[in-house]
Amino acid sequence: MDSRVVNKGQLPELLDKLARDYILVAPVREEETVTLFKQVSGANEVQLDYTNSDVSPKGCLFPQTEKTISYTYTGDTLEMKETDDSPKTAIFGVRPCDIKAILALDPVFEGKFLDKYYLEKRENTVIIGLSCTTILSTCFCTAFNSGPCDGKGADLMFTELGDKYYVEINTEKGKDLVEAYGQYFGKEDIDKLAKAKEEQAKKLEGQFRRKVDLEGVKQVLDENFELPYWDKVFRKCLGCGICTYVCPTCHCFDIFDFVTGEVTGDRFRCWDSCMFPEFTLMAGGHNPRPSQKERVRNRFMHKLKYHLDRYNLDGCVGCGRCISKCPVNIDITQIIKDLKEVGQNA
Amino acid sequence: MHNPSPLTPYPATVTKIVDETGDVKTFTVEFDDPQVMEDFGNKPGQVAQLSVFGEGEATISITSAPTRGKFLEFSVRRVGRLTNVLHQIEVGQKIGVRGPYGNWFPYEMMKGKDLFFVGGGIALAPIRSLIDFALSDQYRKDFGKVEILYGARSYLDLCFKHDLFERWPNCPNTKVYTTLDRPEEGWDGHVGFVPNYVEEVNPSPNNKVAIICGPPIMIKFTLAVMEKLKFADEQIITTLEMRMKCGIGKCGRCNIGSKYVCIDGPVFNLAQLKELPPEY
Amino acid sequence: MDVIQQLREQAKKLLEEKKVEMVIGFGEGTELARTTPIFIKSPEEVSDLTWGPFCANNLVKYLIDYRNLPGKVAVVVKGCDSRSVNRLLEDNQIDREKVIVLGVPCPGQLDWHIVAAAVDPAANLKGFSDDGESFTINTDAGDYKFDKKETMLHKCLVCENPNPVVSDITIGKGQTVRNYEDRFAEVKTLEQLGTNERSAFWDKQFDRCLRCYACRNVCTVCTCRLCVFDQMQPAWVSKRNNLSENTAFHLIRAFHVAGRCVDCGECDRVCPVDIPLRKLNQKILKDLGDLFDTPTPGSEAGLASPLGEFTTGDPEEFN
Repeated sequence: MDSRVVNKGQLPELLDKLARDYILVAPVREEETVTLFKQVSGANEVQLDYTNSDVSPKGCLFPQTEKTISYTYTGDTLEMKETDDSPKTAIFGVRPCDIKAILALDPVFEGKFLDKYYLEKRENTVIIGLSCTTILSTCFCTAFNSGPCDGKGADLMFTELGDKYYVEINTEKGKDLVEAYGQYFGKEDIDKLAKAKEEQAKKLEGQFRRKVDLEGVKQVLDENFELPYWDKVFRKCLGCGICTYVCPTCHCFDIFDFVTGEVTGDRFRCWDSCMFPEFTLMAGGHNPRPSQKERVRNRFMHKLKYHLDRYNLDGCVGCGRCISKCPVNIDITQIIKDLKEVGQNA
Repeated sequence: MHNPSPLTPYPATVTKIVDETGDVKTFTVEFDDPQVMEDFGNKPGQVAQLSVFGEGEATISITSAPTRGKFLEFSVRRVGRLTNVLHQIEVGQKIGVRGPYGNWFPYEMMKGKDLFFVGGGIALAPIRSLIDFALSDQYRKDFGKVEILYGARSYLDLCFKHDLFERWPNCPNTKVYTTLDRPEEGWDGHVGFVPNYVEEVNPSPNNKVAIICGPPIMIKFTLAVMEKLKFADEQIITTLEMRMKCGIGKCGRCNIGSKYVCIDGPVFNLAQLKELPPEY
Repeated sequence: MDVIQQLREQAKKLLEEKKVEMVIGFGEGTELARTTPIFIKSPEEVSDLTWGPFCANNLVKYLIDYRNLPGKVAVVVKGCDSRSVNRLLEDNQIDREKVIVLGVPCPGQLDWHIVAAAVDPAANLKGFSDDGESFTINTDAGDYKFDKKETMLHKCLVCENPNPVVSDITIGKGQTVRNYEDRFAEVKTLEQLGTNERSAFWDKQFDRCLRCYACRNVCTVCTCRLCVFDQMQPAWVSKRNNLSENTAFHLIRAFHVAGRCVDCGECDRVCPVDIPLRKLNQKILKDLGDLFDTPTPGSEAGLASPLGEFTTGDPEEFN
C-alpha cells in the first residue's frame, strides 16, 4: 500500500482544485451547531473542526429523495426516461465509521439486481476519508473491528498529524487522484508519519467511553425471536425516523409517483423508516408489525443479525449518531449489553 | 452503464379484463415489445410489479402459467388506492410491468408426484399458475393426479369460475372440489370452510405435495389439518403475501427475519416457514 | 436527592396499594446528563426512578398510549409538562380520573450536549446540586459547575411555570419563575426582519429537514389517529423531501397545533438538525396573546383553545 504526505497549509488549495474538477462534497457547518455533508464550491466553505456530521454522508450515494424515472403516458404510448445523474464526485472528510457503512451498503445495492442509481454514483465517486482526532462519548466503532484511523474502504485516507496529513492510497481511484494533483502529495518524513499514525490510532482507541462487547449477542438473537426483553425496550420509542435517517447503514426506501401534468409525471424513491407504523401496512389492513414492539425488535435484529446473515457484514458501524439523536435515549449499546446478559442468564 | 435500471417497468397493454367477482378482476397484459415477453421467463409462483403511472406500483402474483401463451395474467382485488385505479382501467390502456420477482414453486421436486392444491378466495390466483403449468400439454405427464380444493365466502366470491367448473374438471386425472362458506340458494355443492373440507376429503400424504394459499387464518387452520393428516413439513408448500415496494431486495420493506419475501420468497415450504420469525 | 427519594416512595406506595397500574417517570440514561422515560409496573422497580436537571423529556404524550389500560397511570411532570396534561384533558384525550399527576417543581433543565462537551467522557454521575444561579454536577471524575444562563435549555430561561399547574402529588420545594430575558425576544428579532429576509431564514432551516416526523411524534397535542401527512388518499403533502414540501409540513403542523401548543419546547429539542421549531410555535403563541389575550394553553385548567371558541368581543379585522 502506497502513501503520501500533504502539508496542512496546502489542503485548502487542493480542495479548491478538487471543487473545480469534481462535485466536491465536504462537511459544512450550519447554524453553528449542525454539521452536514454538502456540496461546496471551495475550501472556505469546508468545516474541518468537527467530530462527525449530524446526518451521515450516505446521502451522496443514496439521496434522501431521488427521481428514478420520468414518464409520459398517453392512451397509445408509454415512454419512460431514467434519470442519469452521477457526476464525478469527491467526498472529503468521511470518518472510518461512515466508510465502513458504505462498504456495508454496497452489497445491498448489488446482488442479483444491480441498482443503477446507487452503483453509478458509487463508481463515479472518490471517497477521501479522514481519521478522527476526537472520540465522542457516543462513539463505539471499535466494537466492530474498526477504529478511529481505519481507512479500509476509502480510496484515500487522510490522517492529521501536526501540520501534515499522512495519506494512504488504497485503490486505483485514489492513485489516479494523487497522480492528477501530484504537486500536493509529497513523501517527506513518510516513515516517521506512518509510525505517528499508528501511535495516534492506539492513543485514540484508549479514549472510548463505551466498551461494547458483542460476544454472544448474535447467538441470543439467532436462538430467540420472542424475548420478554422487547416488552420493556419499545415503550419509550416515539416511532419517529430519526435513528433510521441519521444511520449510515440504513437503506429502506419507498417508491412513489408525482404527477407533473395531465400525462406526465415522475417516479421517485425516498428514504423510509421501518419505525413508521405504516411501513409494513398492507392494503386491506393487515400489518405484520402492528405495534412499536415489533418494529423496535425488527430494527435491532436487523442491525445486529439480519444484515450479518445476508451479507456477512455488520449492520452497525458504531458511529453513535442514533444514540446522540434519539429523543428518548434508546441506546443500541445498552441493548447489546442487555442482550448479552439475557444470553448469559439463559 | 447500468441500463435499464431494474426499477424501470416495461410498457405493456391490457388486452383483456375478466370480472371475476364484485371486487376481483383478472387482467391479461401483453408487453409492447414482444422481445420482453420472450426474455421474461416467469416461472409459476413468481410475482411482478404493476405500474399505474401517477399512482404507483403494486406487487401482484402472476396467475398465468408461462405455458399458456405470450401474455401475463394478473388477478387483482380492489382493496387500496392503486388497485382502485387499476380496476378503472379499460382494455387497450397502457400500464408498466417489471419482473419476474421472487422464487417459484419447486416444481422439479414435485415431478412424479400427486398435487393437492388448497386455495381460498382470491388466493387461488398465485397457485393457479402452478395448476395450469402442471395441467399444460407440455408438462402434464410429469405430474400425477391433480386435485384442487377451493372455497370462498359466497358463489359471487368464487374466482376463476370458468376454470373451476369447465376447464379444469375436463383435464385428465384432475378433480376439483369447490365449497362455499355458507349455504346459498341455487348452490348444491359442498358447504363448509376450506380447512374442514380438506379434512373431509382426507388426502393421503403418500407421494403427494400440498400447495396452499389463502388468507392468514385459512392457512393457519389448513396447515393444522395437513399436519393431522401426516403430511411432512417439506410436503407442504405455501406462498406468502407481504407489502413489497422494490421487488428486488433493496428497500427493506418485505423482510421476515433475514429473508426478503421478494427474493427468498414468496414461496416457502412449511419447514422453511417454521424457521422464519412469526412476523407475516 | 431528597426529591428522588420522595418520588420513589410515592411511586412505591401507589403501586403497592394498587392505586395505579403503571408509573411513567425518568430513569437513568446512558449519557452523563441524560435520562430516559421508564414505565414501571411493580413496586420493586421504583428504584429506577430518578430526577434532576437532565429530565428534559415531556412524558405526558405516553398517557395517550396507555389510556385504555384498565387501571390508572401515574406520570412525573415538570411545570411545562403539566400544561400538556391540562391541554389533553381539554381535548378529551385523557380521563382525569385515570391519571395521577406526580408534579415536581423544576429548577430548569440542562442541555446534555453542552454538559457532554465539558465533562470527561469516561465520567459517571454521582449527584447534582442546585446552587441558585448554577448547577454543580458531581461525577467520579470531579465536580463540574454549569452556569444556568449559559447551559440550560433556552425554554427554561423564560419559564413561566416552573411549578406544575396541575398535580395530584407534588414532590419537592416550589421554584421561582424565571425570566432571564423577554419570553418572545427571539420571535421579536425575527419579526424585525423584512419578508424576504424572514423567508430566507426559514428556507435555510426547512431545507435541512429530514422529514423524520420526530417533532410531530413527540408533540403532546399531535394526537390525530391518522395524521394528514401519513394520509395517502389523497396525499396532501408528498413524501418528496424538498424545500416546498418541507415548508408545507412545518407550517401546516404549526397551524394544526395553534391554540393548543403548550410551549413545552420538545419539538425543538428533538429535531436532529436543529431547526428552531419553537420559534414558529412561539410566534403563533405571541399572536394569540396579542389577538385574544389568552395565557399559554394548558397553564390553567379548563382553558379552551382560543381557536376552538369565540366570544362576541373577539377582534374582527374584516369590518
